[in-house]
Amino acid sequence: MKKLALLTTLSLASAASAQSLSGTVTVWSWDAAAKALESTIPSFNKKYPNVKVNVVDLGNQNVYDRGLAGCAAGGADMPDVYSIENNEAEVFWARFPDCFTDLNTLGAAKYAKSFPAFKWTELTVGNKRYAMPWDSGPVVIFYRRDLYQQAGVNPTAIKTWDDFIAAGKKVNAKFGGKVKMGAIGNGQDDEWFRMLANQNGCFYFDNTATQITIAKSGCVQALDTVKKLFANDVVMTSDWGGQITAFKANRLASAMFGAWYEGTIRTNAADQSGKWGVYPMPASKAGGVRASNLGGSALALPSSSKNKAAAYAFMENALATTNGQVTMLKSQGLVPSLLTASKDAYVNQKQPYWGNQTVWKTILDTLGDVPAARGTQYFQDARQVMIVVQADYIKGKYKTAQDALNDAAKKISAATGLPVAK
Amino acid sequence: MTTVPPPAPPRRRPRVPLAPYLFILPYLLIFATFWAWPIVSSFLMSFKDSRLGAAAGYGLSNWQRLLTDEFFRTALKNTVIILVIQVPLMLSLATTLAVALNSRLLRARGLFRFAFFAPLVVGTVAYSAVFRLLFNGEFGIVNRALTGVGLPEVDWLNQPVPAMAVIILAMTWRWTGYNAIILLAGLQGIPEDVYEAAAIDGATPWQQFWKMTLPLLRPTLLFCLVLSVIGTLQLFTEPALITNSGPGNATMTLGTYLYQQGFRSFNFGYASAIAYAVAALAAIFSFAQLRLFGRDS
Repeated sequence: MKKLALLTTLSLASAASAQSLSGTVTVWSWDAAAKALESTIPSFNKKYPNVKVNVVDLGNQNVYDRGLAGCAAGGADMPDVYSIENNEAEVFWARFPDCFTDLNTLGAAKYAKSFPAFKWTELTVGNKRYAMPWDSGPVVIFYRRDLYQQAGVNPTAIKTWDDFIAAGKKVNAKFGGKVKMGAIGNGQDDEWFRMLANQNGCFYFDNTATQITIAKSGCVQALDTVKKLFANDVVMTSDWGGQITAFKANRLASAMFGAWYEGTIRTNAADQSGKWGVYPMPASKAGGVRASNLGGSALALPSSSKNKAAAYAFMENALATTNGQVTMLKSQGLVPSLLTASKDAYVNQKQPYWGNQTVWKTILDTLGDVPAARGTQYFQDARQVMIVVQADYIKGKYKTAQDALNDAAKKISAATGLPVAK
Repeated sequence: MTTVPPPAPPRRRPRVPLAPYLFILPYLLIFATFWAWPIVSSFLMSFKDSRLGAAAGYGLSNWQRLLTDEFFRTALKNTVIILVIQVPLMLSLATTLAVALNSRLLRARGLFRFAFFAPLVVGTVAYSAVFRLLFNGEFGIVNRALTGVGLPEVDWLNQPVPAMAVIILAMTWRWTGYNAIILLAGLQGIPEDVYEAAAIDGATPWQQFWKMTLPLLRPTLLFCLVLSVIGTLQLFTEPALITNSGPGNATMTLGTYLYQQGFRSFNFGYASAIAYAVAALAAIFSFAQLRLFGRDS
């Protein structure tokens, strides 16, 4: 009885504060992410009818650039809610520690267990929580059911990268080398290396951001696999746009990316509906981890916001409720990082485009297995080095992957001032 | 003995007219705030290690890094390669064009002059996008044309040397006309009678070009050269928008490296050091050019 009374008082109190929140909340975001946030406004306004939310789609690069300018100017002209990619986040906390609000002061600590640990790694500094996890990029292989079948490849039998390469040889044989198992942006980006390294529990830096760990065995194995994929001629070199062109032209039997690529395939190749499917990424060795993460974003609350309570309420509704996250999954295919969202009924629905496979279940089931990795404030420096070293290694400049990564570690150390791990 | 202080000299301060300074004061204030101060501030910043956050003291770490930084060397090397190939190529083309445009034999000269100047009017982003399309490895018209005449296709944007060639071609396309127009103005400043005298002495048009036109055009050529060299040292747009400094670092220039350090890695201190290095290089190059080619002008 007492408990019930207490609960009633509590809920009354929260209802009262919900009514009292008012004013405008300005949100900066980009493209599909902005549209996804917009789709959560109706449910937010049901709870907080007096708050007006204004989502501004500035484009990805502009959000980063204007955030930089705003923070450098001491928080001038910043929005109330700021979108930030996980990888790029730490440089903001490091250079401008006072630019964003510690969300723990608004009660975010209670969500510590609501999101996978790897999502928080880049968003917390010491005991400060600078942003709330939003979507994530669990890595999967998207594949063409029809092309695999014609080449006699069974996707459920592909469990390791060696299986994947063997399948690629069958595909090469069937289509005379015209169709490839994947597209790697060698020379433009090092995404494949990062996906494979993360899978092996290795990354540019350790998780305390104090050492360079790129020359450790997990990373060496990752770079080796990338080289093997090229050496066996089962992948093509292609940038973002080229890859889209290639799968539209039936030249790709599969593609590997963060699951956010789902929307890119579905919208660009609408005529291939029903022909696509999804399976978990192959492991480095039998029984190994088949999960990794590439990309994903978060929302932060600039210190200069005049309406922090309302801004935080908006973030809570969009990111920390199953309803908010699933709304964004439905509207724009953003992969929820909220753990309870993976139990929502929608996740278990069959998707007609994907040959009636329950792709979201396949994708979200990997979330718990993703090893933590930290972009750190030096992400861009390290990435620039690795793009070059990967391209050089593929070209044959280094004898072994270990040599290549020792050199990469040395160069990253020079750029960041961090020591190379022994 | 008592010393008597000498009588104070009558106060005759020289009259400094105040009015002119008041008139230029608004400009001086703006100049001090938006030009002078940033120049000083970025110099000071080049001695701060931004990676350590706001608490960093002054030191030489950025400058030490600059001396040993392989990427800076790559950027410098790429910039110098572009400089050494593109600038002479462009200026020879521009001079040829200017002479042709100046010819009396040419009809519709106004139209041609506009046509060659036109690339400069096109927005840089638009023209870069068009060059990306033209040189697209699989679907670009350049490769179409190459295969059409029986030559092999080139993977323009994914291979280091071809990517550099695309940058050089793009810059040449954009800036040749501009230099040609400046050189044309220089040509028109050469008096007719010089040529008449030369013709009377029996000089062939070829001899006239080498012995009269070029030497008399030297001040204008030097002006174009200095401008082009400074422009190339600061080169940013083409490698940023056409090749994105790639593949790898193959087309990374001092400008794109500075941008990458300053606005991607937020390393303002190091970016400032790079900026000052570029400024110093530009000063050295300009000085050398003036000494080498500008002796008696």
